[in-house]
Amino acid sequence: MTGTAIISALAVWGAGWFVNARLANSAAAQSRLVKLLVPAIFGLTLLIMWELLVRLLEVSPIILPPPTMIASRFSSELPTLWADFEQTIIKGAMTGYIVGMIAAFAVAILADRSEFLTKGILPVGGFMAALPIVGTAPIFVRWLGSDWQSKAAVVAVMVFFPILVNTVAGLRDTTAMQRDLMRTYGAGYWPTLFKLRLPAAMPFIFNGLKIATTLALIGAIVAEFFGSPTVGMGFRISTSVGQLALDMVWAEIVVAALAGSAFYGLMAWIEGRVTFWHPSQRK
Amino acid sequence: MDEESRGGGVKSLLPVLTVVGAILLFWVVSVVPMNMHLTADLAQRQDIAVTPDTPAARQDYSGIGLALRNTHLFGMTYTLDRPRLPSPHQVAVEMWDTIVMKNVTSRRSLVYHGWVTLSATLLGFAIGTGLGILLAVGIVYNRAMDMSVMPWAIASQTIPILALAPMIIVMLGSIGIQGLFPKAVISAYLSFFPVVVGMVKGLRSPDAMQLDLLRTYYASSAQGFWKLRLPASVPYLFASLKIGISASLVGAIVAELPTGARAGFGARMLVGDQYGQPMVTWAALFAAALTAATLVGFFSVMERWTLRRMGMQAT
Amino acid sequence: MKKLMMAAAFAAGFGGMAHADAHANDVTLQLQWVTQSQFAGYYVALDQGFYEEEGLNVTILSGGPDIAPPQVLAGGGADVMLNWMPSALAAREKGLPVVNIAQPFKTSGLMLTCWKDTGIENVEDFRGKTIGVWFFGNEYPFLSWMSQAGIPTDGSDDGVTVLKQGFNVDPLLNREADCISTMTYNEYGQVLDAGVSEDELVTFKYEDQGVATLEDGIYALEENLEDPVFVDKMVRFVRASMKGWKWAEENPVEAAGIVLDNDETGAQGEAAQIRMMGEIAKLTAGSNGSLDPADFQRTVDTLLAGGSDPVISAQPEGAWTSVITDAALN
Repeated sequence: MTGTAIISALAVWGAGWFVNARLANSAAAQSRLVKLLVPAIFGLTLLIMWELLVRLLEVSPIILPPPTMIASRFSSELPTLWADFEQTIIKGAMTGYIVGMIAAFAVAILADRSEFLTKGILPVGGFMAALPIVGTAPIFVRWLGSDWQSKAAVVAVMVFFPILVNTVAGLRDTTAMQRDLMRTYGAGYWPTLFKLRLPAAMPFIFNGLKIATTLALIGAIVAEFFGSPTVGMGFRISTSVGQLALDMVWAEIVVAALAGSAFYGLMAWIEGRVTFWHPSQRK
Repeated sequence: MDEESRGGGVKSLLPVLTVVGAILLFWVVSVVPMNMHLTADLAQRQDIAVTPDTPAARQDYSGIGLALRNTHLFGMTYTLDRPRLPSPHQVAVEMWDTIVMKNVTSRRSLVYHGWVTLSATLLGFAIGTGLGILLAVGIVYNRAMDMSVMPWAIASQTIPILALAPMIIVMLGSIGIQGLFPKAVISAYLSFFPVVVGMVKGLRSPDAMQLDLLRTYYASSAQGFWKLRLPASVPYLFASLKIGISASLVGAIVAELPTGARAGFGARMLVGDQYGQPMVTWAALFAAALTAATLVGFFSVMERWTLRRMGMQAT
Repeated sequence: MKKLMMAAAFAAGFGGMAHADAHANDVTLQLQWVTQSQFAGYYVALDQGFYEEEGLNVTILSGGPDIAPPQVLAGGGADVMLNWMPSALAAREKGLPVVNIAQPFKTSGLMLTCWKDTGIENVEDFRGKTIGVWFFGNEYPFLSWMSQAGIPTDGSDDGVTVLKQGFNVDPLLNREADCISTMTYNEYGQVLDAGVSEDELVTFKYEDQGVATLEDGIYALEENLEDPVFVDKMVRFVRASMKGWKWAEENPVEAAGIVLDNDETGAQGEAAQIRMMGEIAKLTAGSNGSLDPADFQRTVDTLLAGGSDPVISAQPEGAWTSVITDAALN
């Protein structure tokens, strides 16, 4: 049984790889369709291997359920999954993301006006970013209660430093010639900021914003392990593990992966629109 | 967070101290309103006059409002056993006590727990970095891998590790692997992605002219890798290593929860939180952050030294 | 070559014997939570050599948040686990056939602790209040109780708002919740340690409310219990463990000391563990390890009466066995 399982899994892997290799090296490799097809086939291959191995090796569903079981649980629990998504992602993660982003921008502009402050704030910010979430989450829950506010606070602290560092780096990224040009126009600090330096900083800022999207998601979910109302993705995951409902855990993981990828993709799309002039956006 | 803020030495010490000082001041001042409700409850039980005099009525006041009405309780807010916000000196005393005043091999020493977490971190970091570099090389040299693996690597980072960790631990436990290795696996999961992203960017950073030059030397693909792509990727590698080591530490701490919270910073934070000893939690929290900052600093120094040796940076 | 092959045969033989020896004498126990006096009996048996006297080599794995003992048992990471009966019965329904082989805890230590000034005096007063519950297996007794009392747990004005409690008593202390779940042996003491006096609180013991369920029991997988070598191992394990429990009941301070020695975090406090041991002794008193069928039925009835959301849907068959305890206690 084990032998059959491994051989069939490898066969599926081989088939998937073969198809992908042909597609990637074909003439149509640059087309939109192929760019979407190849990762999709890769993912599908992994899912088929998973299903085969779990079924043939008779792995207990309370350790690892097969993808078909997860899919059926996903479709039957959509209202619950949606309520959890609202609580954790929209109320917790998004609020924290926006708060952290605004705070980071404000501090970056403040630091920009003073070299002294920049030198002081960056190492301290780095220290703050190094505070592990397993320690900060219970503390924020104690201060702000169990509802989404404490999760937003955790997220804001987590995303603050990456956005700050990237914004500061971006604000520095103008050449002397460009800054001189603004001076010849008689532009003061604020017009220069808004017309030259902020637009020039956008590629860096978006780099930070993209990194922050995954951090926000993870922060909100993990924070719910330490106290939450009876709704939320982190709550559902931890109680489902306790109830041995592993298929629900994986359904929530699918929601997290979809939400995270969508959020990241949204940021990347906005980046494409705002920084259309940058070399990295050349097709 | 590299040369400018670290290499300046004395020049950057003063700004850092100023900012740290400002934060400490803010912290010390915040202790009063944060702890005021608990202090008022405690004072009332000791028959000290409190305004207003029932807990239910006090619920309507904010911390600051309550503090302004009970200035005689200010001193007490700094000496609570279970404060909502410990004062800096309380945290410092706890850290001193468990780092310096305890035998390094004792279970009550934060140094011992630091080593437990650090060992999982370093092993996980080594695995994650090795895997990340291999994946990056595969992505750069194989188009099928490039198109198929990258989106899934990004998606893998959106999966909450705290949900996967028990599964990984149980599955590894069922084939007899327990102890350090499962924690290192979780640690590696969090650190491989920054390394992949950084190395891919780095391995692709040589420009067309440099690649052409190698072609004129009739260099093979392998020679091109070792002599051009790999050296060119070193600055990007170090940037990724610094993010990766931080992520590894977070992963190691997270991994301590599903492995029985036996030892390490995460275990201390959890048990301290659970058994009403907030000082233990805060001390472990700061110790973990200091460890991360030290590790990142170590890589910064390594980066400067290596780049100087490779001639990629003026002294 | 011949010598090499003989050496290999010997090694295989010895290795096989060693393996068989391990199978007959190695026991891995998965606890429900981190090392504390709640599990004193097992640590005492290890420390005082009771397991050694029975020829057993016991490894105790501590639990914690994020560890589900049934999962560890299913994955083969442990031979026996500690679990509360509602959680074990629910696991059986989920397809994992765990069987209760011994029940050291006779009575339940679960209770709700509320502020007296919220005006709560009986169950009906819970309506409109916020109550903290741990989940991860501890929610079953609470949900059953609320269902039997006809109180919805959906946060409506006529029902209770349920809060997923973290791992400490802060929701009560900072008045986010009107009541929290506490164990008589742990969290209640912590509330008192925080400076709250007993007359500021009102408590509801699940035992007094008639909705108590059996707590820490020893469980093993059904398929393992068909192996006579395993059964013999379990008999010796249960015998030594119960000896450990009785020793701990008689020597609470020393037992707490043994637990502290085994606490790898170094963060546990002596006073709290001694108090915990004292309270645990009240729960283990009255049990010699064997499961009383009447207690079992009472737990099952409480769970089945869960109304719209019962924890289990049918009377469990084969969920417990007296084979081990009959042999161990004679």
